[in-house]
Amino acid sequence: MTPVCLETKQTVFNRAIELLSSTSSVCPVCMQRVAAIREQQGNTVYQVKRCPEHGTFRTVIWRGSIPFSSWLRPKKPSAPLQAFTEVHQGCPYDCGLCPDHGQHTCTALIEITNRCNLRCPVCFADAGAEQPSNEPSLSHIGFLYDQVMAGSGPSNIQLSGGEPTMREDLAEIIRLGRDKGFHFIQLNSNGLKLAADPCYAQKLKDAGLASVFLQFDGLKAATHIALRGRDLHRIKEQAIINCGKAGLGVVLVPTLVPGVNPQEIGAIIEYGARFAPTVRGVHFQPISYFGRFPEPPADRDRLTLPEVIELIELQSEGRISRDNFAPPACEHALCSFHGNFIVQEDGQLMPLGSGPTCCSTGEPQAIPALEGRQKSVNFTARQWSLPALPMANAQGCGCNGTDKPQDDLDRFLARARTHTFSLSAMAFQDVWNLDLERLRGCCIHIVSPAGKLIPFCAYNLTSNQGEPLYRGVERA
Amino acid sequence: MSQFSFVEATDWQCAACNQPLEATKVQVTYLKSAFHVELMTCPKCGFTLIPEDLAVGKMLEVEQLLEDK
Repeated sequence: MTPVCLETKQTVFNRAIELLSSTSSVCPVCMQRVAAIREQQGNTVYQVKRCPEHGTFRTVIWRGSIPFSSWLRPKKPSAPLQAFTEVHQGCPYDCGLCPDHGQHTCTALIEITNRCNLRCPVCFADAGAEQPSNEPSLSHIGFLYDQVMAGSGPSNIQLSGGEPTMREDLAEIIRLGRDKGFHFIQLNSNGLKLAADPCYAQKLKDAGLASVFLQFDGLKAATHIALRGRDLHRIKEQAIINCGKAGLGVVLVPTLVPGVNPQEIGAIIEYGARFAPTVRGVHFQPISYFGRFPEPPADRDRLTLPEVIELIELQSEGRISRDNFAPPACEHALCSFHGNFIVQEDGQLMPLGSGPTCCSTGEPQAIPALEGRQKSVNFTARQWSLPALPMANAQGCGCNGTDKPQDDLDRFLARARTHTFSLSAMAFQDVWNLDLERLRGCCIHIVSPAGKLIPFCAYNLTSNQGEPLYRGVERA
Repeated sequence: MSQFSFVEATDWQCAACNQPLEATKVQVTYLKSAFHVELMTCPKCGFTLIPEDLAVGKMLEVEQLLEDK
């Protein structure tokens, strides 16, 4: 006889805890390295760690019906081309990168200003100063580009801040990056200046910019007001239109905050697809907690990757399925998901070859980290740029100026040249859920003022008192 | 080069069947996507010739678009 489990409140509370695996983390209070485990209870996985001085911390890292055990994409670690730091204290205290780091830079972030024209309650970079302080000069930015090239070779570049458009010399900064041999340069922006001046996007495009990573939290005024302090929807739309006219690709980047905008996930995707091909995809970033938090953020204030996938599935009414998403080739599997699509003439997304393959059995084979990184560099550069090709017409015939009939490959290529669309998310780590195994596999690196390459989550890491590990602190 | 199909006079013959190839509509599949293309095929065993310019041209482009990151 098959045992029957009657799920009552009692059984939920009594559900057994299963130890899954071990890793390392840091204490949220003193930031000393501590051992950590991943344990599962029901369909929730927690990171649990204990500091001898400051006690035990238990934080949700995975929640929902997608099995944690299914989300694997192992890599064989590959050391930096040139390590700028040595191993002294071990991870996460020697970032720069150190020779023990396991993945090369896919995207290097260069923060070119700390000024910003918004005052967001939510800000990774803790920006917002009116006056520049220690803003890197153009020649210093040249040095930072050179460091990326020496440490990791040709990578994708994201110019970040603060709000990078606050710099009058942004076009020169972009041009310099292109001259240094970086083919894909992306601007991380709130879109205010891009919206205000239609010529500005063209100026940046002419300088060599490929793409705009546009902060885009939702369509509702309440969402904008909660996260950014004012309703920016019309401004965002104008920024998209201006970028499209200039030939710049746009990636919509919503910060997802429980209780604010997760119910807008489906609407954001639909909206982005409507603005394809200018909008190249949506990249969700569930909120992480940097800054001062005397009490740990509650688990209900977190949104894990499988929950984002479930919300996409639910809010698209099943048209987009969990099977369309896969763990990343480049960074650690637990850091992101992505799926690739084509926007069809009716605005619906048709999945491309993402998701689990038909023939995989058992544990996947580890791929060389460098190979996954190169795939990701190429894919991102191609997908997040706006192709300079004639648009497919409404029939999708991809007319090429001749009256020759088209086969399926032609029709597919014509549409795909312009209307591929990516859906992805990245789960940044904070001091409560930092996993050093993930950190060692990180490929998103911030270039510090001293020219070191520091994994994004290490650079932004702060203790529960808001004390940074790296930002503003040049470690030896 | 033809933009729409790879039907062309060819000297290739099917080595196994010793048959001249004929234009045939075939289905090409890659990563769960299927495409219909006309190609030169052996009428007996169905073996299909994929010319080099198709393999390294359109077909490669389609593969790259379909491939996972």
